[in-house]
Formats: sequence, structure tokens, C-alpha cells
Amino acid sequence: MSARIDMSLANDVQEVGRVIDTLEEFGAENGVPVAQSLRFGLVLDELITNIISYGLEGRSDGIITLSIEHRDGALHAELADNGPPFDPLATDTKPPVGDIETRDVGGLGLTLVKSFMDRLDYRRVDGLNRLTMEMKVKAA
Amino acid sequence: MTSLNHETVNGALVLKPSRRIDSSSAKAFEDEAAALLDKGPKKVVIDATDLDYISSAGLRVILTTAKKAKSAGGGLTIACAKNNVKEVLAVSGFDNIFGLHDSVAQAISSLA
Repeated sequence: MSARIDMSLANDVQEVGRVIDTLEEFGAENGVPVAQSLRFGLVLDELITNIISYGLEGRSDGIITLSIEHRDGALHAELADNGPPFDPLATDTKPPVGDIETRDVGGLGLTLVKSFMDRLDYRRVDGLNRLTMEMKVKAA
Repeated sequence: MTSLNHETVNGALVLKPSRRIDSSSAKAFEDEAAALLDKGPKKVVIDATDLDYISSAGLRVILTTAKKAKSAGGGLTIACAKNNVKEVLAVSGFDNIFGLHDSVAQAISSLA
């Protein structure tokens, strides 16, 4: 059985809070352990923040669509935006190094994304950036 | 916007964020922490008992808070992190940077 939600997000980082709230509720309704819903939420947080901060930077006509499905023992999501070609996975994902004085957090978000997702793909289709991703869910 | 739970214990500022520090709430945390640090404490403990979630935006603002504490001659450490948060701290290597403790008391002692 598949359950699905579709969301349309404004180009505003405050939308991240709304996405995570929605995902927690969706996960609870579908028997996904809270910790795993939040892991999935973390990935969406990082990707959406990158799209808003870099890909769609300030555009008033920027639109992000998000669909989330629970099927075949996994959470699936598709994230699309109407910005210029931008692959949020393509930046350097070397884990940050250094001590507290010198540490830089660039690339940190993507390190987290890549370690939590089982599958993650970017394509540019019909003038939209499309990210599809999958995270297997272990039953509680 | 909920304001940041905090108290002063043995001269250390104990911050107790609740639920999440994500991209939408990171700035508020950073601003409130900075305002509290401006009042004088140099030692900061993040009591993560009620924290379910932290993203890289959250780590970034903890880092800036830590740098602020350190430049005042103190430091920052983390206590009572739950599994989700511990995992993010481990993947990012921030667990070694800040140190993790099982209790607020231990965390405060470590900053002495």
C-alpha cells in the first residue's frame, strides 16, 4: 500500500520547518519510526536549504515542489524547483576538518545527505531541477 | 517563536534547545545564544535532553556560539545528546570538536 503527500513550497527557508512537521505526521500515520522520519527530514532540510540559498537565490517566482511516498518499505521523495540548472549534490562533499578555530562547515550538509540516503539522483528535466531519493525504513 | 530555555549553573550558561534546530529556527537560536553570552558567561553547555533534531544549519550556529565563547576565554560542550543528534554529530565530526557528556554536571566540570 502506498501513501503519498504533495507539497508546494515558497522560496523561503521557513518552509523547512513546515516540511519537517508534515513529514513527522506522515511518518507517524504510516508507522515509520520517529527517528527515521527525522533522518529523512534532515536530508530534505539540507537539500531545500541549498536550493533556496543557491539555486533560487531570492527569486520571487521561485517554486519548489515536494512529493513524499511511503511504499515498498522505504520513504521516497521527489524535490523539484524551477531555478537555473543547479545540482545541489555536485558541490564538494569532503567532510569538514580542522579544530574549532579553523573549521569550516561548507559541504557538511551534503556529507549528511549522502550518508543517510540509500539512493539519490539529480536530473534536469523540462526546465526543472529534479532530485529523487529513497531511504529504506526499518520497522520499529 | 519559543524563547530558548536557559539557566546559569556554577557560572556556566546551560542552553536547553527544544525539539529542533533546523534551517528555519537556527538564526533564532544563534541570536538568543549570542544575547545571553553578551551578559558575561564564557562557559556554555548545550543540554540536548529535549533536542530531537539538528541539521547542518544548527551545527553552524552551535559552532559560531562556540567560537564566541572560546574567544571570551571559555568554551562550549554538549550534554545528553539523543541518538539522532549523536549521529549527526558523529557524521560531521563535531562530537570530537565539542565533546559529548552524559550529564550537564559532567559537561560543566569538563569546561573548568
